[in-house]
Amino acid sequence: MDRELIISRRRFLQSLAAVGVAVACGPTAAPSATPSAGASAAAKPITIEWWRRNYTPGSQTAETVTSDAAVAGYRQRYPNVTINIQGGPFGPETDQKFDIAILQQKAGPDVFHTTGGDVLKYAAAGQLSEPPLTDAERRDFNPSALQATTYKGKVVAYPLWIVPWFEYINLDLFKEAGVTPPKDGSWTYDEFFAAAQKLTYKRSNGKQVYGFAHANDEFAFMLIDGGRPYDKDVKTWTFNSADAVSGLEKWVALAKAKVMPPDFLTLNPNDSQARFLSGDVAILQRPSAMINVLNADKNWEYGKNWDIANFPKAKGDQTAWGGVGFIAVREQQDADKKAAAHQFAKYLTGPDIGPDLKKLTPPVEYWLAPAGRTSAAGIYGEYHPAKAKVAKMGAFTYVLPNVSTWSEIDQKYMRPARDAALEGKKTPKQALDEVTSAAQRLLDEANK
Amino acid sequence: MTAALRRYGWSYVFVLPTFALFVVFTLLPVVQGLALSLQNARVTGGEFIGIANFVTLAEDPVFRQALGNTILYTTVVVAAQVTLALVVASLIQPLGARSRVFYRALFYLPLVNSAILVAIVWRWIFNANPFGLANTALGTIGLGPFLWIGSSDQALIAVILSAVLTIPGGGVVLYSAAIGSLPRELYEAAEVEGAGPFAKWWHITVPLLKPTTLYLLVVYTILAFQVFERVYIMTNGGGPNNATITIVQLIYSTAFQFGRYGLASAMAVVLFVMAIAVAVVQFRALRSDVEY
Repeated sequence: MDRELIISRRRFLQSLAAVGVAVACGPTAAPSATPSAGASAAAKPITIEWWRRNYTPGSQTAETVTSDAAVAGYRQRYPNVTINIQGGPFGPETDQKFDIAILQQKAGPDVFHTTGGDVLKYAAAGQLSEPPLTDAERRDFNPSALQATTYKGKVVAYPLWIVPWFEYINLDLFKEAGVTPPKDGSWTYDEFFAAAQKLTYKRSNGKQVYGFAHANDEFAFMLIDGGRPYDKDVKTWTFNSADAVSGLEKWVALAKAKVMPPDFLTLNPNDSQARFLSGDVAILQRPSAMINVLNADKNWEYGKNWDIANFPKAKGDQTAWGGVGFIAVREQQDADKKAAAHQFAKYLTGPDIGPDLKKLTPPVEYWLAPAGRTSAAGIYGEYHPAKAKVAKMGAFTYVLPNVSTWSEIDQKYMRPARDAALEGKKTPKQALDEVTSAAQRLLDEANK
Repeated sequence: MTAALRRYGWSYVFVLPTFALFVVFTLLPVVQGLALSLQNARVTGGEFIGIANFVTLAEDPVFRQALGNTILYTTVVVAAQVTLALVVASLIQPLGARSRVFYRALFYLPLVNSAILVAIVWRWIFNANPFGLANTALGTIGLGPFLWIGSSDQALIAVILSAVLTIPGGGVVLYSAAIGSLPRELYEAAEVEGAGPFAKWWHITVPLLKPTTLYLLVVYTILAFQVFERVYIMTNGGGPNNATITIVQLIYSTAFQFGRYGLASAMAVVLFVMAIAVAVVQFRALRSDVEY
């Protein structure tokens, strides 16, 4: 803490000196309309507001710890910028708070975390300030992540991280069932299917083990043969293509083989994790954040009790489903605040924050998921051997393009269609064909 | 008129605070809801589109499913809860004063529990795995295991059962109080005529409880129409293949997840009209001149 204070003071004095020199050398420049100038943010005292979901002052949530650390790290570099963090639980109440502030009152956060269709919604309302990215920075970002934050040809937010999904494997159950874990975490669908079948068995104590489980919030298997929800231009709904149908058929085959727990259709993420942790499930499909859940449990030692593997591979290249997190800067008249907000957003998504936070006492892991840009990706792998393994698997992840009506397509039409197919009430083709017109209508609406 | 106003006008001052609260927190939101139902309202605002939202609802298979589920849930649950409350209250009545108080409290106390906690318990009871309580219990007599909330065929049954098997404490207390105030002489006359316990209950108690029954029917119907947390918690907000989706669940997702406030308001208007229509029918059918 003392060390941080000393550094802060020194940097603060340096900044003051820099301001003094700047003032002495000439008149203060008029605020730039473009937010590229970091100079104003580096000198003038500025206060900006950062809205971060699940931030609760004083708590130990990952969002709170990393956000406080991020502000501490940033303040060491830019002591003139004060950052106030506002929180709010994950959920519709906070979403509404964001919407009302940004869309109705055209006020609220200077910088904020956002995901999915929100980026497009705020961009369409003209409420996002375009990140001043250099060509080198553009090349540094993951192309799918950058595409997911592009609105009408312009990048409107900073990709923060890609949240890839993997298969977590219980090595004890693999050993007990005599199944060899996939070498280097790679396996084909057939190998995966055979393993799941062998891993569905009754233990000597009468406990039923299921080979595989996933939560009820995903469609990963539909990507396995190359099926995609939309075409490349995100204009046409394509999740009823032959590849998507064959992907769903592979998923249905797992249900038919009864390798999943009987309640798999209503298994929410927490329940699915609990089943894996209690040894009821041998292979669990969850995002990279599950690594931290397992690391926090003394009974689970990486390499001994659990390992991580990629999605099973079939015809498709990118098989894993993944989400993207963004940092956005709100459009506003105050050029100084906007510049400071962009500078902070760049810091939050850039290569410096990871090492900065690792130097803190105690060190803080900033990257909760692999970074959305190459230059920041390395440190994620340094946190843990499982993360090092995951960091190499990123290219396997398909990032869902942003469509503002996706949640409606997903919840109202796709999930019931998927359920009907998995329950055997409809054939995969029939289920996916029935969704097409409603999904296309909503896609068209999003593209208006 | 002026004299009456002069004489009693001051009394409106006492009514005014309650009336103001009613206007601000009940009447205005209802009127605003009606106005929103005629707009394509989103968080950024909306334009007047007439009855287009209602046309969309009529053509929407998910809304039709939610409507059907809500009606089925309400019909079964209200009938079962009113009957159960009447039967339980009637069984309590002959007991001594202390026992009556004990049982009334016993049946009423669960009502103070969080609805969310209750729904979580039911989720565990109707878990599709063999370790679910319902499956464990039925397994002892050789039945099951059933998929319950894990199946689109059984999920709504499980949700309905969870409501039916929860004894309606409020109804028990109300019926119990009403039965206590019924005139004894009617029962004495019936006994003289040779009526047995069931005949007295069926021909005296049940008819005389019509006003209470009407009240409970109306209140329970409105509550059943508004079922939300049970569906949301037990079946993750709609269950497999939307098997348990209800109107309020759909209103919630349409407004707060899809951002379609106009369409959600139209659903709320439909629910409002349904509640009023059912209440009118119930009033007409059970209107009673019973006085005692």
